[in-house]
Amino acid sequence: MLEALLEGLLLVLQWKPFAFMLAGIGIGFWVGLLPGIGGATTLALMLPFIYNMQPVEAFAFLLGMHSVVATTGDVTSILFGVPGEATTAAIILDGHAMAKKGEAGRALGAALASSLVGALIGAAALALAIPIVRPLVLTFGSPELFMLAIVGLAFIASLSAQGARGMVRGFLAGGLGLFLAMVGQDPQAGIARFTLDTLYLWQGLDLVPVLVGLFAIPEIIDLVVRGTSIAGDAPVGRVSRGALEGVKDVFRHFWLTIRCSLIGTFIGITPGLGGAVAQWMAYGHATQSARTPEERKGFGQGDVRGVIGPGAACNSKEGGALIPTIAFGVPGSTSMAILRGGFFLLGLVPGPDMLTKHLPLTFSLVWTIVLANVITVAACFLLLNRLTALTAVQGHLLVPVILVLVFIGSYTSNSSYADIVVTIVFGAVGYFMVVAGWPRAPLVLGLVLGKIAENYLYISVARYDAGWLTRPVVLVLLAIAVGVILYPAIQAWRARRRHA
Amino acid sequence: MPSRTSLALALAIMAVSGWGVFSALDWPWKAKLFPLVIGIPLFCLAAAEALWAIFSKQDAAAAADFKLSEGLERDVVLRRTALAAGWIIAFFVLIVLVGFPIAVPLLVFVYLKVQGRESWLFSVIFTAVVWALFYGLFDLLLHLHFPDGWLLSWSSGG
Repeated sequence: MLEALLEGLLLVLQWKPFAFMLAGIGIGFWVGLLPGIGGATTLALMLPFIYNMQPVEAFAFLLGMHSVVATTGDVTSILFGVPGEATTAAIILDGHAMAKKGEAGRALGAALASSLVGALIGAAALALAIPIVRPLVLTFGSPELFMLAIVGLAFIASLSAQGARGMVRGFLAGGLGLFLAMVGQDPQAGIARFTLDTLYLWQGLDLVPVLVGLFAIPEIIDLVVRGTSIAGDAPVGRVSRGALEGVKDVFRHFWLTIRCSLIGTFIGITPGLGGAVAQWMAYGHATQSARTPEERKGFGQGDVRGVIGPGAACNSKEGGALIPTIAFGVPGSTSMAILRGGFFLLGLVPGPDMLTKHLPLTFSLVWTIVLANVITVAACFLLLNRLTALTAVQGHLLVPVILVLVFIGSYTSNSSYADIVVTIVFGAVGYFMVVAGWPRAPLVLGLVLGKIAENYLYISVARYDAGWLTRPVVLVLLAIAVGVILYPAIQAWRARRRHA
Repeated sequence: MPSRTSLALALAIMAVSGWGVFSALDWPWKAKLFPLVIGIPLFCLAAAEALWAIFSKQDAAAAADFKLSEGLERDVVLRRTALAAGWIIAFFVLIVLVGFPIAVPLLVFVYLKVQGRESWLFSVIFTAVVWALFYGLFDLLLHLHFPDGWLLSWSSGG
């Protein structure tokens, strides 16, 4: 095993695979920075280029590109409040709030350091978990996967707002997300649901135009209203010192970083849940780490834990998602499904062979994730001053540029003007939610989970009738969901008792 | 203001979920299971929030989310919000009419001149840089196809 691990490293360090990895990192770096152009799309665009490559070169190129997209996506999300990637939206809530307070350097430092820790944990999980993960994944049938989606929604809905009414708003937003996920052709009966007689909506609402509208438009409006730079009058401060503080924050909250990394890895392993879920679950968990309701009020206004959680989960999920892809040929996400296509182009079949005959190649994937993240984080730290200086640029220079990126990012999802209409409509929805003090995170998670949850619910009911509700793991997950919902109430009651 | 907006959002969700449940009643059970499982509780929760917004004297604590900037006069906020919305809609209309390749430099230039009150020279240089980045990145490098706007297609008889 150790021999294969070392051999995997030496494979990546050969000049050709290493050069291809650097090329991949270069592409992934810019793709991550640009809003809307997703890692999965770029992965698909790059597939034709691997025909003439050796497997180790091809994976160094593809995985090198894919594993850094989330890291640089965090940079755009933090600095401009525009999700660089669909998987980096959660970090906006606190990361961009910190940038507006002149703490962009600290937020970026925390995001980059937690991303690196997350990526290393995901890669370690990939190296260690292959022999033990098979029974775990196989115990999760459709009922358990449906309940897992419900637990995720309960997490974010109950923790993103305060008090009973806040919780109702959280569940309303989550329910609205689930409802919007139903738009399009129903997968079971083929009925066109809520499509308003338009062909565009038959395929459902695309996540990117919705996310870009929901998060970027309110920020743009606020930037115009303030008439200042993103950081406003707040001093940007010495960026390097701020970044160092952010790195220290990761070690101050090291267990939170580890826990969120493990959440990301687990979500990555679970087929079908996808990367967009991991960040919100981790954000929900980070919110839960607040000990008092007062402390929780700080989330959304620039609490560094709200940056660390999603940052770690977002990168650890890549290692996790590779586990079922390599070991069983079951892709954990869209990107992994595309990567699986890469296996076939190279004449490789995911499965037991990857754990025996091609073990050094499998370990070369682990090393690619590690090296690509180390190189990207180092490059980001070197460019930090220039990146952070953008928050001090006057709003009237940024608004047209951000608006152009937002509309292009949205349009390129399906190359349709309707994508931009969706962005504007959800921009309005996002703006009114912000005005009303409703949380947007549950809406996004509901939208992401909706199709998966419906599919699993349908299979559960069709296969087990009501019997699926009595399966042991379902009951455990149900208890966790109830616990998560009751937790804030118990916390408030304990705080009242302490004061009395 | 937040409570009135909250009431409007709750009423809108009631309308949407009510319409969704009503529409789903005619579908086969495979297609209506999820809309009913989600739509009915959603309607009830929205009704609860609407009642809260009407009868409760104090608003709920704001969510752990982005907050709009404070400290400006209400009139100024409303005027500038309408202005921002106007720019966004105008950009969309421009894209539809003349396509991205013309709409992008036009928006950047007009925004800098009108909203930013920048000098002619600065506006021209800044616009040229943005356009060069747009063209170089999306057209030359990524080969993304941006169609001509309706106006250009119509004038060229396409």
